[in-house]
Amino acid sequence: MSRFASIFLALACVALGLGSIEAAEPPALTVFAAADLTFAFKELAPRFEKATGARVTLVFGSTGTFAQQIRQGGPADVFFAADQSFVEALTAEGVLLRETRTLYAQGRIVLATAKAFGPKLTGLRGLLDPQIRHVAIANPVHAPYGRAAEQALRKAGLWESLRPKLVFGENIRHTLQFVQTGAAEAGIVALSVANVPEIEWVALDAAMHAPLDQAAAVVRRSPRPELGLAFIQFVNGPEGRPIMKRYGFMLPGEF
Amino acid sequence: MDSFPIWLSLRVALSATALTLLTGVPIAWLLARKRFSGRNVLEAVVVLPLVLPPTVLGYYLLVVIGYRGPIGRALAAIGLELAFTPGAAVLAACIGSIALVIKSAQAGFETVDAQLEQAARTLGRSEWSVFWSVTLPLAWRAVLAGTVLAFCRSLGEFGITLMVAGNIPGRTQTLPLAIYDRVQANQMGEANALALVAVGIVVVLLFGLSRFARLRY
Repeated sequence: MSRFASIFLALACVALGLGSIEAAEPPALTVFAAADLTFAFKELAPRFEKATGARVTLVFGSTGTFAQQIRQGGPADVFFAADQSFVEALTAEGVLLRETRTLYAQGRIVLATAKAFGPKLTGLRGLLDPQIRHVAIANPVHAPYGRAAEQALRKAGLWESLRPKLVFGENIRHTLQFVQTGAAEAGIVALSVANVPEIEWVALDAAMHAPLDQAAAVVRRSPRPELGLAFIQFVNGPEGRPIMKRYGFMLPGEF
Repeated sequence: MDSFPIWLSLRVALSATALTLLTGVPIAWLLARKRFSGRNVLEAVVVLPLVLPPTVLGYYLLVVIGYRGPIGRALAAIGLELAFTPGAAVLAACIGSIALVIKSAQAGFETVDAQLEQAARTLGRSEWSVFWSVTLPLAWRAVLAGTVLAFCRSLGEFGITLMVAGNIPGRTQTLPLAIYDRVQANQMGEANALALVAVGIVVVLLFGLSRFARLRY
């Protein structure tokens, strides 16, 4: 009895000891940012840190998941959504600070072709080629870029005929991976993530879909709202804008 | 390579495994040895975490432990916050893996000859003593096998953790979340290195245990 009982006691100690993992010092500024901002923000954040001396923790993921988490007290100071409707909803609920709500960019979509597949497609019509067996788009039900892709395909009159070929990514980076790996020969992805060596792309006319307005706002529960607002202004400011532009976003004042 | 996710995951998995063992073994014993009303319901509830998609489970859990949820508010009243902390990752790993401990230990207890327990009782042993000196020593392989599976599942927990602990680098970003993050950011080299570490930990553990305890899965 004693041997097994002592093993159990030891386990109880492990559970209690390790369970009370002391929380690391909370980071200076936590930014929840939509997946399409991954590359741009990784370049932008260190510059903000240098300019302000503040530390920034970037968390990338799906706009929908972030919205739920922030609603439940997720430790974000600022929220950069891929779709302004999420910011609208959270502002109306009082979770985000209305006065900090800022339109920071407009997304663009491109037609991407896997280099492994062959010649670059130059128009949506090329997707009808029987050699293209899969076309990747983000899930149009909840991903903003997926919705834009659906609108573009409908406008081109191709939605119904391409439907059997469509595969849905969870977010725009996931969608890009389908094309990057060659699992899908082509796809419609965000310009902001399209510059990877495995694919070639051609921009699609912005008039093909409703504008992809992207908004950001400071979270009401944030203990440092000024710093959060400073980050939003930095993204929209003279240092941030060229970077955002380089990663394929259209900027406020340009659209 | 940032080693924080590796250490965090090891601590979370160890802690969660210990907790699942402490809560899972008594439940397994109840299911194996006692007939009570609601037993069938309990039997179904314990496997529920294996059936529900992890992100769905994580969402409901978040609603409960978030700062507006019932448990979240109760904790806040005593100055604690669970959601989006490493503790939430432990809870996520527990919920994801407890069925493995319960099912395995229950099967182990059921194979123990009830007559042996009966004999111990006729010799004046208490129920508590019967469990420790007869049932558990005869069923320990099954319990250990379930524990190892639970540890592995805890180490790999992804969906529930992403929802309730967030994916915050340097705070709640566990090994699986870190790998996913690196893949999303197109840093395949780092993703592969971290994946190799995860595989390495589990291979060493399983190999060591099979040598030590001759476990069969």
